[in-house]
Amino acid sequence: MTTFWILQTLNTLQYAALLFLIAAGLSVSFGLMGFVNLAHGALYMLGAFIGVTLSVQAGFWAALFLAPVTVGAIGLILYLGLLGRVARLGPMPQVLVSFGLVFIATEIVRILWGDVPLSIDIPSALRGRLDMLSVSYPLYRLFVIAIGAVVSLLLWLGVNRTGLGAALRASVENRTMARAIGIDTDRLFLWVFTLGAALAGLGGVVAAPITSASAGMAVSALVPALIVTVIGGMGSISGTAAGALVVAAIEVFGAAIWPAASSVLIYAALAAALIWRPQGLFKGAVSH
Amino acid sequence: MFRLNPLRLATFVLLVISLALYAGFGGFFAREIVAEIAILAVLAIALDVAAGFGGMVSLAHGAIMGVGAYVYALAGQNGMTPWPAAASGIAAAGLTGALIGVVTGRTQGVYFIMATLAFGQMIWALTFSADWLGGDNGLGGIMRPSLPFSDLTDPLSFALYAIAVIVIVFGLATLFLRSALGRTFEAVHENPQRAASLGLSLIRVRTIGFAASSALAGFAGVLAAQHMQFISPAMMVWTASGEVLVVLILGGIGTLVGPALGATVFVTLKYWSAGWTDHWHLIIGAVLIAVVLAGGHGIYGQFERWYRHAFG
Repeated sequence: MTTFWILQTLNTLQYAALLFLIAAGLSVSFGLMGFVNLAHGALYMLGAFIGVTLSVQAGFWAALFLAPVTVGAIGLILYLGLLGRVARLGPMPQVLVSFGLVFIATEIVRILWGDVPLSIDIPSALRGRLDMLSVSYPLYRLFVIAIGAVVSLLLWLGVNRTGLGAALRASVENRTMARAIGIDTDRLFLWVFTLGAALAGLGGVVAAPITSASAGMAVSALVPALIVTVIGGMGSISGTAAGALVVAAIEVFGAAIWPAASSVLIYAALAAALIWRPQGLFKGAVSH
Repeated sequence: MFRLNPLRLATFVLLVISLALYAGFGGFFAREIVAEIAILAVLAIALDVAAGFGGMVSLAHGAIMGVGAYVYALAGQNGMTPWPAAASGIAAAGLTGALIGVVTGRTQGVYFIMATLAFGQMIWALTFSADWLGGDNGLGGIMRPSLPFSDLTDPLSFALYAIAVIVIVFGLATLFLRSALGRTFEAVHENPQRAASLGLSLIRVRTIGFAASSALAGFAGVLAAQHMQFISPAMMVWTASGEVLVVLILGGIGTLVGPALGATVFVTLKYWSAGWTDHWHLIIGAVLIAVVLAGGHGIYGQFERWYRHAFG
């Protein structure tokens, strides 16, 4: 019995790590600019496919580093060329334009990589399983948990312990006031958006050996990431981490304990979160 | 307030006549296309009532339409004749909309969009995992209704019947928007503070408006079930609702004529591009972005502006 719980907890942590990587950028875009970027799942998908190609050319470790950089650059170009303009237009245009980008990105991926799901080979150093606490768990999945932990720690330190992070928090809290005291919120948002895109790309490469890359990822990754963002509260790193853990726990334990209802549970959680506390469950008393 | 001005009426009548002529002189394939256009047009008009006039941008309308389709099919399986079954489907869709409206009535903007996404996906997931609804396989063997002077199993008669449903739904949407209730629905969207200070219950008005729009979406569901004679949860998933939103924007939101025109263009474009590419979503994505960047008026909205500028 304990084996079951330990195993499901590890599965939860591994899924939460991926969700966190996808949702971090989405959450901060949302919190900082009120920008709902439905194309964020498409950046995750691009990370996976670019990772597949790079790992064939240059190996897994190069792909792990270069795919996020490439996706970050794509995010930067998209923002400068299109999304920056749309971000000022309000929710409807944002939703529509980013939805259009999902269509386009999915088709480009189908043209370049085809319709067959592609996978990345796990590097030799991370193959095999680790035996601990009476369970045997794949080493690669532990590596994913570690990446999630390290990235969330770094982000948390960056946001809460640096000057740039303070500017970011100020802008999320009150953008007009932040501008008034001299914070260039537009430029800040540009870099935050790029970083968010790179993190989604990282999530894509890291996920590819487990789930394999497919053209359906852009849409299938988006909804859980939106749920994490809503449950965690927009624009907060610790909220996103907590939201990722909650959503992962609902999905993993739901599928294991109550399979019949598991597919509904997650949407019920989203609906409950939106109606009960639209600002997010983990955002305490926020002044607005 | 919605005005059915001569330009709008003329465009709508012209569209309906063109569809009827296409169905009449085209072959079997043309008649199937016209039926598909009609289903999408009805759903887009229904969404326009909620999104264009009440500001309630819904990603649940595919699921609500699905409720109408499934209830129609189930009622038929349990021995109900087609017309009462159709009424049940429409009522069930309206009721679903009322429930979603009541619960999400307080949320606004993006939060409303995501709340409807959540409820739509719940309906989809429930249907998907319910064995008694056929699960992923869906339900087949659905009946078509009968009319006194025509045989609806014939593709041409069915296409003309589908066009008649567009006209009926367009008329009902116009009647609703011009009624006191419909005007209140718009007022609550235009100026919530003023509406509230006049003593209107915002949630009640929004709920009624959303229920009305959902009942119209039920017409699309019943029509879809009658057309395909087979239904599956695929019509309920949120991307299907997203596609209807695209149709609405493409045609021109807030005009009622735009959605019907948008559906015609969308389906025509889909079959035309299918001849030389299977990446037609690439085209629709680019067109969608172009329409939004051009100001979001859509084809009909842009035309109306140009017409007013030239002749008004």
